Amino acid sequence: MLESYIPIFMMLALGVAFAVAMGKINEIVGPKRPSEEKLSTYESGMEPVRTARERFSVKFYMVAMLFIIFDIEVVFLYPWAVSFRSLGIQGFVTMLIFLSILLIGYYYVWRKGALEWD
Amino acid sequence: MLTYTDFLLAMPLFSLTVTVLLIIATEAARVGRARFSQFLAITGLLVTSLLAGLNLRESGVAFQGMIATDAASSYLTILLSLAGIVTALVARPYFEHRDAHRGEFYILLLFAIIGMVLMASANDLITLFLGIELMSFCLYVLAGFERTKDKQNESALKYFLLGAFASAFLLYGIALIYGSVGSTNLDAIARAYAGISNQPLFLLGTAMLIVGLGFKVAAVPFHMWAPDVYEGAPTVVTGFMATAGKSAAFAALAIVMIRTFDIGGSTTADVLALLAAASMVLGNVVAIAQTNLKRMLAYSSVAHAGYLLAGVAAGTAEGFAGVFLYLTAYTVTTLGAFAVIGWHERTNDEGTSLDDYVGLSQHQPVIAAVMALYMFSLTGIPPFAGFIGKYYVFMAAVRADLTWLAIVGVLTSAVSAFYYLRVIVMMYFRERDGEHIPLPRIPVMIALGITAALVIVVGVLPSTVLQLFMPAM
Amino acid sequence: MDLYTISFYMFAVLLLGSAIVVVFSRNIVRAAFALMITLLSIAAFYVLMMADFVGIVQLLLYVGGILVLILFGVMLTNRQISVDIREGAIQTIPAVIVTSTIGGILAGAIWSTAWPMREAARSVAATAPVIGEMFLTTYLLPFEVASVLLLVALVGAALIARRERKS
Repeated sequence: MLESYIPIFMMLALGVAFAVAMGKINEIVGPKRPSEEKLSTYESGMEPVRTARERFSVKFYMVAMLFIIFDIEVVFLYPWAVSFRSLGIQGFVTMLIFLSILLIGYYYVWRKGALEWD
Repeated sequence: MLTYTDFLLAMPLFSLTVTVLLIIATEAARVGRARFSQFLAITGLLVTSLLAGLNLRESGVAFQGMIATDAASSYLTILLSLAGIVTALVARPYFEHRDAHRGEFYILLLFAIIGMVLMASANDLITLFLGIELMSFCLYVLAGFERTKDKQNESALKYFLLGAFASAFLLYGIALIYGSVGSTNLDAIARAYAGISNQPLFLLGTAMLIVGLGFKVAAVPFHMWAPDVYEGAPTVVTGFMATAGKSAAFAALAIVMIRTFDIGGSTTADVLALLAAASMVLGNVVAIAQTNLKRMLAYSSVAHAGYLLAGVAAGTAEGFAGVFLYLTAYTVTTLGAFAVIGWHERTNDEGTSLDDYVGLSQHQPVIAAVMALYMFSLTGIPPFAGFIGKYYVFMAAVRADLTWLAIVGVLTSAVSAFYYLRVIVMMYFRERDGEHIPLPRIPVMIALGITAALVIVVGVLPSTVLQLFMPAM
Repeated sequence: MDLYTISFYMFAVLLLGSAIVVVFSRNIVRAAFALMITLLSIAAFYVLMMADFVGIVQLLLYVGGILVLILFGVMLTNRQISVDIREGAIQTIPAVIVTSTIGGILAGAIWSTAWPMREAARSVAATAPVIGEMFLTTYLLPFEVASVLLLVALVGAALIARRERKS
C-alpha cells in the first residue's frame, strides 16, 4: 500500500532538485550587472521600505475567509465524487441539498457586497 | 435508508432551518427591512415550538442514531424557541434605539437555536460537537454585533479565543472517548460504560469533556470569560446567551453525564460536585461586590451554573428532572431581567449601573414590580420559579448522598439574597433624582408579560411542567 | 528497518524539529513557515496510518488554506516582520507545571491503554469512497449540519467585515 506513494516521493525529490539546480545554474552561468535598484528588496512591486504603522483593509481577510470556507466545501465534495456512481440518486439529492445551502450563502455574500473590491 | 419517522422526529430542526434560509434569501434580495426578518424569525420559532409540542409524546432515534427525540428534548426545544421569541421581541426596540437594527441578528439567533436544539437532542458525540460549534459561532459574532463599539469587540474577541480553546478540549475529549469505546454513539457508549468507566483513557476523555462543557456553562474554574463577555455584549445578546446558551449546554451535560455515563456516586460525580460548590461560593460572593447590573448577573449566572451542576452531580433521574426544571426557571427569570436592563440602558452603554436604578418604582412602578419579581425568583423565594428549581435540585442532591452540597447551596442562596434584594432596595427605598425613562415599547411589554407570567406559573404548578418533559414521573 | 519505519522516523524528526522552531522562533514569519513543515509532516503521518483522505484534507485545508490565512494575517497586520513575539518570560513556571502535568497524564493514559491493534488496517484500500458513502448514509445529518455551519461562517464573516454604509 505504502509503496504506491513512492512516485509522489520521487516527484517531490525531483521537484526540489530541479528548483535548486535551476537556481544554481542561473547563479553560475548568468551575467551579473548589479545596480542599486536591482540590489534592493523586491516585494511584488511594492515599495520595500515604508512605515510599519499602517492599517490594512479588512477586505483582504474577507477574501481569505471566503477562500477557506469554499475550500472546505470542496473537501466535502471529494469523497462524494469518487463514489458518485455507487451512491446513486440518493447521494445526488443529498449533495444537492448540501450545495444549495451553501449556494444561498454565496448569493447572500454576493448581494451584501462582500465579493466586491471597492 | 431514511424513513418518515426520521423526518417527523427532526421536524423542529427542519422548520428552523427553512426559516433561517428564508430570512437569508429575503435579506440578500433586500425584499424587506430588518423588521420583516424579525417577523419571519418569530413566526418560524412559533411554528417550531408547535412542532416540538407535537413531538412531546414521541420518542425514538432518527438519522441512524445521530439524534434522539423524546419528551425532554422536545420540551427543551420549546424552551429554547421561547427564549428566541423573547429575544427577538426585545431586540428590535433595543437595536433601533441604538440605530443598529439589522436583519443579520435574526439569522444568527436562529442558527444558534438550531445548534442548541441539536445539542439537546444529540445522540452522538459528533452531533453534540457540531451543535455546540454552531451555537458558539453565532454567539461569538452576536457578542460583537455592533462592530463599531470597542467594548463589544473586546467581548467578542475574548469569547472567541477562550471558546475556541474550550472547543479544542471538548473535541480532544470526544476523540479519547471514541478511542476507548470505539464509537461516538451515545447508546453504544452507555452499553460499554460499565466495562470501561475506570479506564484511564476514558476518564481523561470525560475530564476533557467536562472542561469543554464547563466552559460553555461558565462553571468555576472555567468562568473567567463570563463577566467581561456578559458585560460587553449587547444586553439582548447577553440575555440570550446566559439563558438559552446555558440551557443547551446543561442539557448536553445532563444527557452525557446522567443518561449515558450514569455517573451517580462515581469519582466523576465527586468532581462535578466540587465544581458545583466552587461555582456557588465564588459566583455568589463576587457578585456582592459588583456595581454593574450586567456584571452582577454574570456572576450570578456562574452561581446558578453551580446549582445546576449539583443536579448533574446527583446523577439520578431526579437530578435530571431537577436540572430541566431549574433551567426553565432560570431561563424565564433571567431573560426577563435582561429585558428590563436592555430597556433601561441608554444609547451610550449607560444605565446598567446599580445606582441608575435608584427610585425606579416612583417613575415606572409596573416595571419595578416585574424586576422585583425576577429578583425574588433568582434568590429562590417561594412561590416563584427559582424556588422550585432549587428545591428539586437540592432534593436530588440530598437523595444522592450529596447532603453537604445541598447545604452549601442553601447557604450560598442566603448570601445571594444580599445582592438580589439590594436591587429591590435601590428601586423602592431610595429617592430618584435621575432622568425619567419612558415606558418600554409594546414588544418589550409582551416579553416582560410572558416571562413574568411564566415565573409565577412554573413556581405555582411545578408538577404540570415536570409532566411535560418527564411523563413517567 | 523497512520503508514504513524509515518514513515514520523521518517524518517524526521533521515534525518535532519544525514544531520546536514554531514555538521558539523569535521571528513570527519563520515560525509560520516552520508551521507549514509541521502541518505537512502531520499529513504524512495520516498517510502512514493509511488514512489517505484525512491526509488530503490536511494538505488542502491546513497547508493550503489555514496556513495561507495565518501568513496573510502575519504579513498584513504587521509589516515590521522582524518583530520580537516573545515579550519576556511571563508566568513560565506555572505554564511549565500545567503543561507537564497535562502532558504526563496524557502520556500515562496512552501508555496504560491496551490499544486494539489491527494488522489488517495496513492493507486497507483507498478510504475516500468509504468515507463518501458514510457521509451520505450514517453521517447524513452531521454532513448537512456541516454545510449549515459553513453558511454561518459565511454570514458571520460578511457581517464582521462589512463596510458601514452611510445612509
